[in-house]
Amino acid sequence: MSTLLFILFGALAIGCAVAMVAHRNPLYSAISLIGVFVSLACLYMMLQAPFIAAVQVIVYAGAIMVLVVFVIMLLNVEEEVRRPARLHYLIPVGVILAAILTAEAAFILKLPGASSRADVVGPQASDVGLTASIGAGLFTEYLLPFEVTSVLILMALVGAITLARRTATPRLAASPDFDIEPPAPSSESGSVIQPGDTEATGQAYAQLQIERGEAAAPDAGKEGES
Amino acid sequence: MEWLSNLVGPDWARAVATFVGINVGFVVVLMIVAYTVLAERRVLGFIQGRLGPNRVGPGGMFQPFADLLKFIFKEEITPAASTRFVYFLAPIIAITAALMPIIVYPFGPEVSLPFIGKFHLVIARFDIALLYVLGITSVGVYGIALAGWSSNSKYSLMGGLRASAQMISYELSLGLSLVGVVLISGTLDLYSVVEQQGGWWGLRWNIWDFSRVPQIIGFVTYLISAIAETNRVPFDLPEAETELVAGFHTEYSALKFALFFMAEYVNMFTVSMLATTLFLGGWQGPFVTALPWLGPVYFLLKVTFFLFLYIWLRGTLPRFRFDQLMNFGWKFLLPVAILNVIITASVMFARSWFGW
Repeated sequence: MSTLLFILFGALAIGCAVAMVAHRNPLYSAISLIGVFVSLACLYMMLQAPFIAAVQVIVYAGAIMVLVVFVIMLLNVEEEVRRPARLHYLIPVGVILAAILTAEAAFILKLPGASSRADVVGPQASDVGLTASIGAGLFTEYLLPFEVTSVLILMALVGAITLARRTATPRLAASPDFDIEPPAPSSESGSVIQPGDTEATGQAYAQLQIERGEAAAPDAGKEGES
Repeated sequence: MEWLSNLVGPDWARAVATFVGINVGFVVVLMIVAYTVLAERRVLGFIQGRLGPNRVGPGGMFQPFADLLKFIFKEEITPAASTRFVYFLAPIIAITAALMPIIVYPFGPEVSLPFIGKFHLVIARFDIALLYVLGITSVGVYGIALAGWSSNSKYSLMGGLRASAQMISYELSLGLSLVGVVLISGTLDLYSVVEQQGGWWGLRWNIWDFSRVPQIIGFVTYLISAIAETNRVPFDLPEAETELVAGFHTEYSALKFALFFMAEYVNMFTVSMLATTLFLGGWQGPFVTALPWLGPVYFLLKVTFFLFLYIWLRGTLPRFRFDQLMNFGWKFLLPVAILNVIITASVMFARSWFGW
């Protein structure tokens, strides 16, 4: 049963990781990364570290990746353009290196000897991963690293806010005789354009452009069009 | 389930038992949610001086089935410029994240059934139940954010961003208001938390338990954060009809919209169950030790009270503007939740130090 679950979650993690690397659309890569984190949390659970599994989901998949997804959405990161592969000589190099890696892993896992891991039976029941154990250790033996880490996170937070802050624009003080009524338009200047007269505004602006020489006058035959 | 363990081995027996429990829980939750929708429409109608739907069946009892038929037969419109995979994935994430936490809530004490033996009325009981609920709530934000973005429409995008920003802001005060309960219970396991609220004829609930620290402030902050978390009035600006058409589910039609709709009500139900379990004593009540099957009855009554509270608030309060909402969450609710943790921890420490 545990072997079955391990194969399932391991395959899910590897599949999502490959999908993350292979996708051209950055949002799909982010979603695949969330899949990787959730599979890893399930694997942690199987290794009897339930607290780490829960924290992985809460912090990584639930907070950090939300930030990444927001950034991708807000910056509207474009899909990558598919370029033709050019460095063809890298393919045999990759195959040889993968073969060397597989040979090393097989040597470590399978051959008998002091460094062989093949005789590890399976996960034994242990208390290390429980929340109570982690809490007890965190507040007694590892208290100083805990406090220092929280100060570090606080520094990062303050730094980010300082960098992202907009400098305040100076506010103009209102003069004491500030009156609310807009100045009444004098009736001498007949060409005052009231806001809202869009057609009149457009025609007046066209007239202004013609007077300034920025645009040519329309043909005489088109005068009838509004 | 001894006979099953002897048949297929203890691992598989537990898997089968959990699977059956999940199915039963799933069906029960969906039926309750369907009738919550009906109850909301009726109660809102009464608050607003009219009757709700009462034609389909006696008192409108078969209205949810009529709604379901309507949703199934509606035309599925997919916006042409949307991202197809994410557009389909978003409601799936929303409803999955809404339904997953129901497995950890204890419905009742240890009961015994004829063929099955004695078992606790909880689908899955494990050490970090509360962290699991918080984790799944964090993942549920993706349903809304991805829905808003993938519909490729400005109303959806604004609604989705606002809703997810609101959810991640109020998740903080939600988590912190639960820390007080964890402090006085000493465990994250929800079944143990309910078991510890059993004194005083079943009425020694965490909210008014003066022998430990009463969690009144935690209860109020939890309730407000939960209402904001589920995007309900007065915090429902992201899906307000007069503001953003329909927010992040503007472009969704038929069954996908039904999934979002159900996800919102299942979320409501889930946070009501969590409030009941942690603050109001879960299945505890008078005479539960004598009649164990009274436990689920009490549980259902308390959860119904919370659902009624939700509907009542919807009919009564106006909604917050978005900046007022964020101000309230970060500048008022989060400090109050932290204050609750500090007070609880200080009182507990003083009690153990001075021996009160």
